[in-house]
Amino acid sequence: MKATKLFDQGHQWIMFGRDPDKPQGIIDTNQYMVLAGNRALLMDPGGIEVFAPMLGAILHHAKVEQITDLFASHQDPDIISSLGLWDQALPHAKLHAPWIWEGFLRHFGMNNIQYAPIPDEGSRVSIGPVDLEFIPAHYLHASGNFHVYDPKAKILMSGDVGAALESTESPLFVDGFEEHIPKMKMFHQRWMPSNRAKNDWIKRVRQLDIEYMAPQHGRIFKGDDVKRFLDWFEQLDVGVAIQAEK
Amino acid sequence: MTSSKHHAEDKFVALASIAAELNSVMAVAWGVSLAAKNAKVISAQSGDKGLGFQPITEFIDEIAQQAMQGVQDINNEALHLTKIAVAEQRSVDAFRRFDSVRNKNDKARYIGSMSIAMQRVEQHMLESTQAMKKSLRNLNALLESMDECMLSARAIASVSRIVTSNAQEYRDKLALVADDLDKATVFIKEKLSDSYQHLKNVDMRSSR
Repeated sequence: MKATKLFDQGHQWIMFGRDPDKPQGIIDTNQYMVLAGNRALLMDPGGIEVFAPMLGAILHHAKVEQITDLFASHQDPDIISSLGLWDQALPHAKLHAPWIWEGFLRHFGMNNIQYAPIPDEGSRVSIGPVDLEFIPAHYLHASGNFHVYDPKAKILMSGDVGAALESTESPLFVDGFEEHIPKMKMFHQRWMPSNRAKNDWIKRVRQLDIEYMAPQHGRIFKGDDVKRFLDWFEQLDVGVAIQAEK
Repeated sequence: MTSSKHHAEDKFVALASIAAELNSVMAVAWGVSLAAKNAKVISAQSGDKGLGFQPITEFIDEIAQQAMQGVQDINNEALHLTKIAVAEQRSVDAFRRFDSVRNKNDKARYIGSMSIAMQRVEQHMLESTQAMKKSLRNLNALLESMDECMLSARAIASVSRIVTSNAQEYRDKLALVADDLDKATVFIKEKLSDSYQHLKNVDMRSSR
């Protein structure tokens, strides 16, 4: 699994993904880690199948005991079905996840890790000296959903928003926004159910100073491409499966 | 990894099969208990002629109650064993994945920090294996106890035939109860034999 540093000034943001040994048939995912001093937060740590390569990749950057916090943007298996394994590797860790998913996430096996429910309005967490914000992104696509914003690094980990379903060979960054649109259009139209929720999120996110918008699938948006994405997403009609039924 | 999963599924299927085999025993034991209660009424109606049969009907009912309690105890132990087997399987799975991390990343700067997690999971595996062995012994003892209960039932069925032969006009009705008990005993013994075979499979598949 490849590891790429997105930010390294006092604390680090590392993106893990593009695993060439990923089993066939499972969707490619991006995992992120904020490393600050003796603590680390793993964001959307992935499914069972990526657990071993993910942990292996982390151990080049941090010790097991440094991983004190996990974050799950929502409850999907590609996000957090590895929870039962993390539970045995990190029995003293905390899992920050939407409050509504606690009873569901425990089905993955959570006997040791502490569940830290995120309220609907969002909250903050400190990883050592770094303050991070959990930004509400409900119904994008899950009914309880959060993104993680780091005001110092100016990075928004945007979960499934901005996702594109691509191969493990695809570049890490969007390098031509117009050419990238076909790769993400169907995903957003089908997976995102609500125009109202989408516009509410865009309004909130436009107030943030973002240098990198880092989704859980596909490529990272950098600089002006973040604004281009927000503009494109704003005019996109989502929830199309309902329309298809008419 | 594939063979491990297959092996685990077999273990869980074997445990579920014990519960399934013995659930049918519950219905049969309930039937015997009902027949014993009917027999009590019949022997009471037969007056002096049924006197010899009255204590027998008490025994039959007691045996049926014991069989039902035995099935309940076996099911509880099988459920407990399934939970331990799930915990063991999780530890085994975690250990294998941790081991894969260790083997494939020997050059990782912090690979040494895996050792505490590995020791902890190994300890869990050991504890689960010991708990499984204990539970398997308990389950075996419960099945043996049920087997002994069925031996007593067969003896009572034989005795009741001798007793019923003196009951004249109620002979046929009481003989029917004795036959029911005999058939139920044969049925339950078959189910116990199948359960022993499933238990043997669990035992064999528990050793890693």
